[in-house]
This record gives sequence, C-alpha cells and structure tokens, in this order.
Amino acid sequence: MIDCAAKVKEQMEKGDIGSNRSCEYYPCHHEGQNCSLCFCPFYPCLDPLLGRFVPSRKGGEVWSCEGCHWVHRDDVVRSFFSKVGKGPLSDHDGLMKIKEELQNKHLRIAKTLMVLGATSGAGKSLLTTAFCRHFADQGWKVSPFKGQNMSLNSMVTPEGEEMARAQELQAKGARAVPSSRMNPILLKPMKDDQSQVIVEGRPYKDMRVAEYYDMFAPKEGVEIIRRNIDLLRRINDIVVIEGAGSPAEINMMDKDITNLLTAEMAEAACVLVVNIEWGGAFAYAYGTLMLLPERQRRMFVGTIITNLHGDGSCLRSGEEFLHKTTGVPVIGILPHLELDLPDEDSMFMGTRPSKAGSLKVGVLQLPRISNFTDFDALALSGAEVMFIDRPEQVRQVDAIIVPGTKNTVSDLEWLRSRSLDRAIVEARGNKPILGVCGGYQMLGEIVDDSKGIEGSEPKVWEGLGLLPLKTKFEAYEKRTVQVQGHILGTGGAVRGYEIHMGRTERSGGRPIFLLSEGNGSHEEGTVSEDGMVFGTYLHGVFDLPSFRELFLGKARKGEVAADHRDDDRDTVVERSLEQLARAVERSVDVVQLHRSMGLPEVKQ
Amino acid sequence: MTHNVMFQAVSSSAGKSTMVAALCRHYRRRGYDVAPFKAQNLSLNSFVTSEGGEIGISTAFQAWASGLEPRNEMNPILLKPKGGGGMQLMLDGRPLADLERASVDREMLMEHVSRAYSRLAKDHELIIIEGSGSPAEINLRGKDVANMATAKMAKAPVVLIGDIDKGGVFAGLYGTYHLLAEDESPLVKAFLINKFRGDDSILAPGIRRLVEDMGCPCLGIVPYGRLRSPAEDSMEIRRQGGIENGSDMRQVWLDSLDVFTDMLEKHLDIATLDRMIGL
Repeated sequence: MIDCAAKVKEQMEKGDIGSNRSCEYYPCHHEGQNCSLCFCPFYPCLDPLLGRFVPSRKGGEVWSCEGCHWVHRDDVVRSFFSKVGKGPLSDHDGLMKIKEELQNKHLRIAKTLMVLGATSGAGKSLLTTAFCRHFADQGWKVSPFKGQNMSLNSMVTPEGEEMARAQELQAKGARAVPSSRMNPILLKPMKDDQSQVIVEGRPYKDMRVAEYYDMFAPKEGVEIIRRNIDLLRRINDIVVIEGAGSPAEINMMDKDITNLLTAEMAEAACVLVVNIEWGGAFAYAYGTLMLLPERQRRMFVGTIITNLHGDGSCLRSGEEFLHKTTGVPVIGILPHLELDLPDEDSMFMGTRPSKAGSLKVGVLQLPRISNFTDFDALALSGAEVMFIDRPEQVRQVDAIIVPGTKNTVSDLEWLRSRSLDRAIVEARGNKPILGVCGGYQMLGEIVDDSKGIEGSEPKVWEGLGLLPLKTKFEAYEKRTVQVQGHILGTGGAVRGYEIHMGRTERSGGRPIFLLSEGNGSHEEGTVSEDGMVFGTYLHGVFDLPSFRELFLGKARKGEVAADHRDDDRDTVVERSLEQLARAVERSVDVVQLHRSMGLPEVKQ
Repeated sequence: MTHNVMFQAVSSSAGKSTMVAALCRHYRRRGYDVAPFKAQNLSLNSFVTSEGGEIGISTAFQAWASGLEPRNEMNPILLKPKGGGGMQLMLDGRPLADLERASVDREMLMEHVSRAYSRLAKDHELIIIEGSGSPAEINLRGKDVANMATAKMAKAPVVLIGDIDKGGVFAGLYGTYHLLAEDESPLVKAFLINKFRGDDSILAPGIRRLVEDMGCPCLGIVPYGRLRSPAEDSMEIRRQGGIENGSDMRQVWLDSLDVFTDMLEKHLDIATLDRMIGL
C-alpha cells in the first residue's frame, strides 16, 4: 500500500521537476507532461470537469482522475508552487482554495474558437494565426488545431513527426511548441486522386480520395480528430481551430469531418471568414450560413470580411442586411495586408514581389512541387523568385532550383517531356543549380525505383547526371528529422529538416554540410567539383543567411551583398505575426468575441 | 429579332470572359453571326479598335473568337483604375473624364449602354453578353449598370456561373440568387459550375438541391481549363511570360481557345442553351 500523504510530501520538497523521462510509466498522460505532481495534492477534487466516480474493485465507488491532464501542465505546476512554496502542505480545504485560484488562471477545459471559410483562400489560416497570437498575448496557453490539412508543405517537429507548415506557423502565433496533434491528419497529394495519409505525424497509408472519404474519414478520421482535440483542450486554455474549405458543400456535408462536426465535438464558437477581394462576398456569406441546418448556423458568433481594399464605410447596408437575414453579425472587416509569411498552398503561387534589377532565381514548377515555401527566404537577400515551366525561362534566370516533389520519378518524366532537362544541363557551369530533396535526387545519375515504391511501375530511371550520386528506393519508409549544423569550410550555420523516402549515395563531388542529429553527426548534401551544382535534402536550407549568400553569390559571380546577411527568416516572420495580430485586434470586435466564447474581458 | 443570352458570375475571375469567348467560338463554328457585348469593363488591359476607340481586351478577344473585328459598341464603358480610388472613364471608346466612382451619372451611362447594344444587335443575329463582377452586391443596389440592368435592357436570359475552384460553389450560387432583387431573380434561367477538377458525379446531390431551389436547370459542369487568353482581370496572376519567336500572340490565344471550346462542347448542355436563346 502506497502512503500517498508521504509521497505528496516528498514531491513537495522536490518542487518543479518537469518531465520525469526516466520513470517507467512516462508518459502516462501525454508527451511533454510535467510529472512534479505525480500524486495530485487536490485528490479527491470531485471536480466534474477533471474526473468522475467509477465502480471500485472493492465495491462501492472511487474517484477517478485518469483523464485529467490539468495538474501535469507546466504552467499549472509553476503557479501551484509559487502559491504554496516548498513549505508544509495546508489542509485539504486550504488546498482546494488554491485550486480555485489556479483554475481562473489556467482553464481546466480550453475554450474553443473555430475559424471557417466561405471559400478556400478566404484568410482562415491567417486569422487563426492572428487569434492564436491575440489569446497568447492575453496570457493564455494557446494551441492551434486543424483536424485535416491537405498540403505538400510540411515540416518536422522536434519529436520527428510530420505536420503541415501552416499549423507550424500558427503554433508560432500561439507561442507554442509545434506538435503533430495540432494537425493530426495530413494529406499529401501524390498522383491522380491518391494521397499519402499522415496520422499523428507518421505515414499511415496511401489512399484514394473515395477510400479516404467513404471508409477512413467517417470512422478512424473522426476518432483521430476527437482524441486530439480532447487532449489539446485538456492541456491548454484556448484552442483556435481552423476549418477546411467551405462548410456548406451540400453535396458531401455528411462526409465533412473537419468543419462543423469538429466544431460540435469541440463545443466551439464559430466565425465565418469571407474574402471580399473577388466580389460577391455578401452572397457567399449568406449562401454559406443559409445552406447550413439552423442548429449549426446558431454556432456562428460572427462573420469577418477580409482583404478589403479601400474604404469599408460603403459596406454598412450589406452588413446590416446580412445580420438581419442570417442572425449572425459582421464582427470585423480586415483590410488587405502585405505580410511576409509563408503561403499555405499553391493557389496564389506566382512571381514573388521583388526589387527591380535583382537576381532572378528560377524554381521549376513541378506538377507535384513540395515545400516551395523553402524559397521565400531568397527575397531577404534581394533575389526574385520565379516559378518557371518552360525551357526559355530556364535560359533567362540567373540561378536554377529543382525543388522538392511528392513524386520524383513522375516529375522527372515531366521535366523530360517539356525539354526542361536539356535546358538545365546546358546551364551547367554558367549559373548555380540547386536540387532540394526530390530535386536533389533528380540531379543525380540514377534513381533506382526497381521495387516500384515511388512510382507506379518498377524501374531504374536515369537522372539528369549533374551530380555524381545514386538514389535508391528500398522500402516504404520515410525519413523525417530536424537537423542543424554548419557549412563545411566556411562554418556558416544552417538548420532545417528532411522529409523524404529513398537513400542517396555519393560517388564523387564534396559534401556541403556537417549536421548534428540527436547524439551523432553526419555529412549531408553534394556539391560538384566546379562548385556550381548543389544538392541537399535540407528543407529550410535558405532560412539562415549563410547558404543563401553562398548560393546567390555564385549567381552574382563572386560578389557577395553585405546588406542582407543578418536577416534571419524567423525575425521577419515574428515581425509579420505581430503586425498581423495587431491589425486583427484593430479591425475585429474582440470584446464581443471574448464575450461569446465565455472568456473574461479583454486586457488592454 | 436578334437573339441573346447573358453570363453573370458569383464573383470575379469565375471564368466569365473565357466562357463567353468560347461560346462565341462555338456559335461561330455552327455558322451563326454572333457578337460579344459587355456593358462595362474594369481593366487596364485595353485594345484599340480600327475606329481608334479603346475597349477592354477581353471583349476584343471575344470578337476575334466570333470572327469579327472588335468594335467600340461591344464595350461602351471602360473604367481604367488609376490608383487611390480614381478612375478614367472611357465612353464609346473615348476618354470622357477622370472621376470618382460616386459621381458617375447612372442614367447617362445606361443610355450609352442601351444605344451601343441596339447598334450592335442591328448587325448580328446573336449577341452573347458578359456581366461584370457579382450581380449581388447588396451594398451597391440601385447603382448597377453592367449586370441585371443590362439584362433587363437587352431582355436577355441570364446564366449564372459558379466557380468551384475556390470552394463554396453551392453557397456562392445560392447566396447570389437569393440576394437578387425580386424583379431580377426571375431573369436567371440556368446556372453552371466552372473550373471543376476530378470526378463530377460527387456533385449530384448538391446540384439537385440548387435546381430545386432556383427552379432552373444546370447547364453543366465544366472542367478546369488552363488556357492562354488575355485575362482582363488585374488580380489574376499573369505568369504566361514570353512566347515562341515569330508566333502571333492573337493566334496563340485563338488556338488555345479552340482547344477549350472543344472541351466545353462536350460538357455543356448545348441543346438547353439553344432553347433558352430561342435558336
């Protein structure tokens, strides 16, 4: 029989110990849990939000707090110790008083806000990010959530799990550590109607659209969303949820698990976002709300209009009409914002803004291009990024990048079918060429898919032959890892992450980076003998200035621009996040929003 | 009597201009004497007619698709935004004034639209009319020229185009239809879904509900077609870049349109459209 009182006393003397990873039961609640209050000092709290009575083995009933994560939150533990110090414990009543004080500051079950869009590209993702930052600035512990995301832009969390870049940015907004729980289902389109389904950060299965929506989504999909949103609500004060596409697709409302079904599971207050830039904004808002059953329409606490160019005063009559007919007020009109943040999807892909006379970097717009946000950072050194798909464009640019792809072999075929391969090979030695991830594999001599893992037919493909390396797809396994290190020779810092299937072996040239990962270190990347062709698996390779300057320096033929050397991508993103959050606080009625979520008044 | 039909859309860049160009092409192929008409263009991409008048380039393109030389009457109003809310107003191909939007005399504009349309209709047997932006901007009610006001003037049946590429297409169509004024919604005689990718059988339940609600047929589900055309919309990303040496851009556009028209003919219920037009 364990002496609980003695255990509680013992842990009080130790204070905040963080996660006890050497414990054989770790993690008994969730990864990253705080173990300091292993024996709960409030037991039995009899708080229906945290536990319940269950039948005891000895007969009668016993208080179970199996599902309670509250006392295992870092912020709760810190507050607890700051209240009681390390001194002797007071009686149960005194402790319960402390609990009451704590629960005003650290909500036992998170309040939830859900951001849904009338169309895609309405600004859901940005608004979710902005609300995450707003609530974090109000002193709450915040997490973003998007049940299912379809994107080829993914990143790797510190735990080695894969999640969408969009939720990573939202985590930055929330000042939270990114976790695949924030995006438990990630769909990465492959070819035709097939996608790789990533569940809680790990590749689960390749599925066709019909299989996903008919078989997976209504059963496992719903359960995955339910358990992740439940956990996030138990370890945060606020969860800001992003919907997917439109919630009013009346042809498949019963199969849509990521919009109002999620809102219902999470008991969320919903806002509808509509982009006014395309015109027809009131019609879209009205149509979306009125096509929903009344029960779901009532979950909406406001409509937010985004992307307004010019003066919003002429919208007054439209706002009143919308409120009167749908019962949902317009709670904000957000002006068009110019922000330097990663794009969510390829819908708005085009020439990125640039200065006149700048270096032109051509990124091949492969049909299944992945992680094209890798190249945003080039603008920080004054380069202009163009997405190109014709041989004459390859000839016009100053540097060439073959980016990542979801399917190396079929995009290699695509390059050939458009004679882009020849144009790239012709540029060898004259301008720098970089292959990233799938593009790296393409620049090599051989892409060996003799087991048919990457493509649909087993075959050994010839690469572009610009780098002395061979890539082999051996098994259906994926490397997802965060790494950091430096450039061999110059010592410049680099960090990023790898997401790929297949292994690459170098038979010549030189490695580019020395990277550390866990306890070991390894060489990564390949540069040709003449120093003009580069290849790497590293996504985010341009985020820090060293490699960016090295690569662009080759295009400038030796001269290195000094001005932009210190611009870290993170600093720029952080600046944009602040700008975004303040703009949203100015244009959205946050007082009303707090009220409808049942939160305390806004702190100024 | 001249036959006509008008295409309006739930938002800008839903594919109206291309749809009108392709249908001009289609009826031209069948031997009809067809011409395009758009009361008002808002664009910086313009074309100069042989009479020396300035019109929107998308309308000029539709004229070429019809096998015609562009005429001033095809686009009587051209608004060229100058930034900061200012516009240059081109009327019947000539600059009239620089003005703020609010000070436009709507009656005067409608008169010009009506006169231009009559002159054009006198010379052709079929006019395909393009709307402008969304017809359901409730905050601009009473100020409309280029959408339902033109449809009423020309007594044209209206086809509403929904853009499925952005998502929310059913909400867009439903909302647009229901936000029209009482005397406007009866003019809508059909709708269609544009820019679709994938297997269209999954749309059936949604379409059934709209057909019931709007009381008019769906003309079809048109697949996403990437074609080279002089997109008039300043918002649309222009990344078509340079062309092969020596080739005539106008011919490149028309060749591309022919491919799109072939595709359109397979996916649109042309028989129903013919009946609406009275052909």
